[in-house]
Amino acid sequence: MRRRGAAAAWIAAGVLLAGLPLVVHNSFLLHVCILIFMWTVLGEAWNVLGGYAGQVSFGHAAFFGLGSYVTIILYLKGGVAPWWGIPLGGLAAAAFSVPIGLIAFRLRGPYFSLATLAVAELAKLVALNWEWATNGPTGFLITTLPPLHLFGVTVNWESKAPFYFVAFALMTLSMAAVALLARSRLGAFLVAIRENEEAAEAVGIDTVRAKVLTLALSGFLAGTGGGFYAFYFRYVDPDAVLNLGISMEMVFIAMVGGLGTVAGPLIGAVFLTTVGEAVRERFQVGHLIFYGLFMMLVIRFLPEGIWGRVRKMSARIGAREVRHGAPGG
Amino acid sequence: MGALYAMIGIGLTIVFGVMRIINLAHGEMVMLGMFGAFWSQKLWGFDPFLSILIWAPVMFLLGVLVYRFLLRKIIPGGELNTLLYTAGFSLLVANLALMLWTGDYRTISLDYAITPMRPMGIAVPAALAIGFGIAVVVTVTLWLFLGRTDIGRAIRATSQSREAAVLMGIDVERVAALSFGLGTALAGAAGVLLAPSLYLYPTVGELVIVKSFVIVVLGGLGSVPGAIAGGVLLGLVESLGAVYVSTTYKDGLGYVIFLLVLLYRPSGLFGVGKS
Repeated sequence: MRRRGAAAAWIAAGVLLAGLPLVVHNSFLLHVCILIFMWTVLGEAWNVLGGYAGQVSFGHAAFFGLGSYVTIILYLKGGVAPWWGIPLGGLAAAAFSVPIGLIAFRLRGPYFSLATLAVAELAKLVALNWEWATNGPTGFLITTLPPLHLFGVTVNWESKAPFYFVAFALMTLSMAAVALLARSRLGAFLVAIRENEEAAEAVGIDTVRAKVLTLALSGFLAGTGGGFYAFYFRYVDPDAVLNLGISMEMVFIAMVGGLGTVAGPLIGAVFLTTVGEAVRERFQVGHLIFYGLFMMLVIRFLPEGIWGRVRKMSARIGAREVRHGAPGG
Repeated sequence: MGALYAMIGIGLTIVFGVMRIINLAHGEMVMLGMFGAFWSQKLWGFDPFLSILIWAPVMFLLGVLVYRFLLRKIIPGGELNTLLYTAGFSLLVANLALMLWTGDYRTISLDYAITPMRPMGIAVPAALAIGFGIAVVVTVTLWLFLGRTDIGRAIRATSQSREAAVLMGIDVERVAALSFGLGTALAGAAGVLLAPSLYLYPTVGELVIVKSFVIVVLGGLGSVPGAIAGGVLLGLVESLGAVYVSTTYKDGLGYVIFLLVLLYRPSGLFGVGKS
């Protein structure tokens, strides 16, 4: 009962959210929502690997950046429309992640984190200096998006609504993918790896394979997020998409929301994006001060994340109901 | 650059050794040192190199305070939490600096350091040479401090085995606060010494932190001689790479070596720790 009720609530909330641009035309509000959806995708991407499998990456900007570069280059040089470019960017990032995973997963704990950090910095250097492919520090700019007719309507790229729908779809798909993964065999393997890698290996789990597969999924999600970034902001350069800040923000979002939960990144993205945008209005340069402060406060007082705490509390309430003989479960 | 890199690396490695935390705000401490040198010259006319005498103790105090009031409660929460906490702290400090001092690139100019020194026919910028000299002195002093004094021994003992140190009657809490202060002071001092040779801007810490990881891992996390060797090695690789390979990829060269070391000798070239 409880479970079905929760699922129904999620679906109802999803349907309401999906229809939002039909009612609301405030472009700032829609912009914030789009950012939240995009960051949720990225948070899920990091969370699959960092939250479920316990492999902390500091280099997810590499996958994000690769996805955004592939999408924008395919469009500007190959004429491939961004809505095809986004999944292709994801695939490129997933393909890139496999050799990275095979190398980096030989390392554990902080060493793995540092290796991913180095990979991302190398990716940034390549993007800065490989002028032929990446235009170097100047990057790329999309001036016009291709015309598109859907259901007899010409899509207006100057409004926020089409981007809203795309971002919403990406977020829903990413959350569904993570939810499925969490219930699958692989999901159970990942938790086993997180809790004790030696023991997981001893019971016969091919840990390297499980981790590489997860990294590929994680890279794919981060790459589609990057592709969407290129599509929405229409501008890609090494400092924008390949900096350490992007990698860290993905970690923050998963962490603030709750590690190893499906809804966590959404909650984290809602909080951090709103905090970020709210103070950006007032402080031109220093809005990241509050971001940093918020981070510190959450870790200090809510180390299991906001959603993690909510879940724990609802579990406690559920347990109490059962104890009192109420028909729970 | 080698000796200066080594100083930054030692700071990071001492903190890691004693507390098992990777301090992502270490780069910001270097940045604070750089700006300290800048402002004390601009406002009070202090020589940037002499201002190390003010800023090293100030940074030490700052480190102890940060440990006492911000970090101590977080550490039992686990490695990841501490790591992210210091990441949040680094964002906070970097952006406070950005707000206070704007993002402009600044430089410190010294009258006596315009003509480069020419030892053995190689032109070396004088500011860098002086910085190098002081860094060597600081590093040797630190080496003696860690090896010969009681506090130094306590720090080394704690990083070898926390439990054993407690059993030997070492006040581990105090050692942790001291070593965090020491690490911060080293970062700040390195910043002071670097200030006359580099551009100053509030987000310089990001560049520094990545480099200092490379240094520390090259030598083995937690090992002080390793950090010295790693610092010198990275300095050499960068300057030789700039001459013989290309200036654009000199930073890349450092990362490639870093990845290779991580893969084949994860405990570092002079490793003491386990991978």
